[in-house]
Amino acid sequence: MKSTFQMDSQNTIHRKRLLLKIIGLLFFFFIFVLSGFLIGEEQIEANLSEKNLSPSLVHLFGTDWLGRDMFMRTLKGLNLSFQVGLLASSISAVLALTLSLLASKSRLLDYIVTILIDLFLSIPHLVALILIAFVLGGGIKGIVVGIALTHWPTLTRVLRAEIMQIKSAEYVQLSKKLGKSRMWIVKHHFIPHLIPQLFVGFVLLFPHAILHESAITFLGFGLSPEQPAIGIILSESMKYLSTGMWWLVLFPGISLIAMVAIFDALGNNLRKFINRE
Amino acid sequence: MIKVINVNVRNIYLGMLTVILASFMLVACSTSSSNEISEKNEREKDSLVLAIGSEPTDGFDPTTGWGRYGSPLFQSTLLTLDRHFNVQYDLAVAYEVSPDGLDWTVQIRDDVKFSDGESLTIDDVIFTFETAKNSHSVVDLHNLKKMEKLDSYTVKFTLEKPQSTFLYILTMLGIVPEHAYSEKYNENPIGSGPYKLVQWDKGQQLIVEENPYYYGKKSPFKKLTFLFLSEYSAFLAAKAGQVDIVAVPPHLAKEDISGMKLLALDSVDNRGIMLPFVKPTFDSVKGVEIGHEVTSDVAIRKALNVFINREQLVEDVLEGFGTPAFSVADKLPWWNEETVFEDGNLEEAEKILIDGGWSKNADGIFEKDGVEASFTLVYPANDQTRQSLAIAFKQMVKQIGIDVKTEGKSRSEIEEIMHTTPVLMGWGSHDPIEMYHLYHSEYRGQGYSNANYYENVKVDQYMEQAITATTQEEANQFWKKAQWDGETGFSALGDAPWVWLVNLQHVYFINENLNIGEQKIQPHGHGWPITEFISDWTWEE
Repeated sequence: MKSTFQMDSQNTIHRKRLLLKIIGLLFFFFIFVLSGFLIGEEQIEANLSEKNLSPSLVHLFGTDWLGRDMFMRTLKGLNLSFQVGLLASSISAVLALTLSLLASKSRLLDYIVTILIDLFLSIPHLVALILIAFVLGGGIKGIVVGIALTHWPTLTRVLRAEIMQIKSAEYVQLSKKLGKSRMWIVKHHFIPHLIPQLFVGFVLLFPHAILHESAITFLGFGLSPEQPAIGIILSESMKYLSTGMWWLVLFPGISLIAMVAIFDALGNNLRKFINRE
Repeated sequence: MIKVINVNVRNIYLGMLTVILASFMLVACSTSSSNEISEKNEREKDSLVLAIGSEPTDGFDPTTGWGRYGSPLFQSTLLTLDRHFNVQYDLAVAYEVSPDGLDWTVQIRDDVKFSDGESLTIDDVIFTFETAKNSHSVVDLHNLKKMEKLDSYTVKFTLEKPQSTFLYILTMLGIVPEHAYSEKYNENPIGSGPYKLVQWDKGQQLIVEENPYYYGKKSPFKKLTFLFLSEYSAFLAAKAGQVDIVAVPPHLAKEDISGMKLLALDSVDNRGIMLPFVKPTFDSVKGVEIGHEVTSDVAIRKALNVFINREQLVEDVLEGFGTPAFSVADKLPWWNEETVFEDGNLEEAEKILIDGGWSKNADGIFEKDGVEASFTLVYPANDQTRQSLAIAFKQMVKQIGIDVKTEGKSRSEIEEIMHTTPVLMGWGSHDPIEMYHLYHSEYRGQGYSNANYYENVKVDQYMEQAITATTQEEANQFWKKAQWDGETGFSALGDAPWVWLVNLQHVYFINENLNIGEQKIQPHGHGWPITEFISDWTWEE
């Protein structure tokens, strides 16, 4: 009796700590990403009288060769990355859910979906991304569609396995025997069970999406160069490294890593939190 | 026997191992090896390493465009332009134009040999022009009707229509050997120029050596190595003392490289904004949308020209390495000096706009009949100088109340929208035909030429007269009149279809001991033009 009680209390403490972590991470995330919404065009305008300044209190991250404040530009860039990531991961998650449900319908469909998963997993993300973004003519649209179309397979695989497991569960079999329709089973048994997985998967997709967005804009397949995307900031800054303007690369780079790390931690903690239930 | 072979094989392995180890050592102590290289240079002084970029992707075939910027290096041309753009003989010893401007008779030297030792005859000249005409490349010879061999060293070119700019083709087209010309010629050029190709590792380096048969003044440098590095690796290589000449972008020009001096060459490598000239409409012949509501108003185009402070653009964007540009051909013989005016003039610009029927609205933006003075300025996304210029321009014109948005696009995207949207472009040639292409109504919507659909009957007339003129002086008079005749013209004083912003300076770091003398005003294209007067380069310690 005692030991179970202890375990229970340990469990609650653990869960409380996890919750605290999650809230803390969410707080960081809000500061980081949502502040970008408050930054207007004026704050990231070029100001040629203040170019190439090293970091100071006025310009935390310094300014670039056009006198743009790098701190504001970085925040704006993270914000843009966030939006692209959000949109792309949502599409990816929806795709994954649809495909995994499709796969549960019949053997043939399952076979097709599995092949599709293998096919997409066999091409390196970046290559597929570049191809798709290029075909769609670049821009936000190209990037979002590219990321969405390349990031669904892993999540689909997880969801598909999950459904296969539920499918053989007794209560699902029972519902079937009772003559419930397929839609009813999907709606009342599958989806509620899949939601936590889907959510965690979605959050874990995020860092990937953001990193790939940066990678593709870094390579120049994405956005117009005056847009403050992190990848663009980094690729421009590379050119100024040899003249000793290290701050152009360092701070935006660290910020990107920090954001990705926060998301990753958020996702992992969420998974732990949900899996305990 | 077998044993011996075994030993040999072992020796080979040993040799290979040594080479590999040695190469590791070389990499490991690259600083010391670079010192060795520079010491060697100082001792012998007859070879140079250049990192000036601009590897020609199409190779070195003059009949498809090689050498039209600067000199062809491997080949030589019939005529050349000296530092002050006077025509000089090169391969030719005499040339004559008939009074009707149709027949051009050129006599060439009889002592010229290609770098393979074969003699250069008039057949090679005829072959070159024929090949160039049939290649339908950037070398525009469609006006060349026929060629006649008068004797083994004289040719008569007959033109369809008189064309004074045919002269500039004679100064740009390098002569190729008929006996050694093939599909592969662009990678293996043989010519009568000062140098011959030894080795070309694409994307890496080009090694050339003195052509022993060269008839002109010999350069003291017997061997040149061109390294094709990115701007930044080139800069770092220069810092490490591994190159004698390096081309750098303006923002690196403020740096110091020990043992090297800064060289900024004036150019007509200009940057300007092409403004669509007509009202929005549809060109049913070409099947494209053309024109722009705001920039079709002459008041807007003139106000932009008057208001822009070009000196400030040079300072802010080019770090001072440039000059204000007022036309496509600043300082060239066919340039009309009267087209320079005082810019950065707010009152004048506002007056032009108000006289043109524009008035400021509540947001401080000029407005006319409910249309705001606003447009999108497009620049090629991969060109940082143009991006900076576009952004600086946008901020500048905001002060007067014209709202510009900037957008970077790829070349193919630009080609789709350039008839309806202002684009930041760059031009600058040593051939006045460029003005004809940019401003003659015949070239409306022909690719990048006259993309703004500019048309002025008077200007067309002047330029046609310039083309049909029989002397250069006469031609230049008409070119100048086309720009501004006191009443109209294509310059900013007249119709102002462009806002020319700046001429870049081509910036190089060169070894302190190297003296390359006076240079011509450089054309569009950083890199090869600098080698034009290589025979006059000297090494002084």
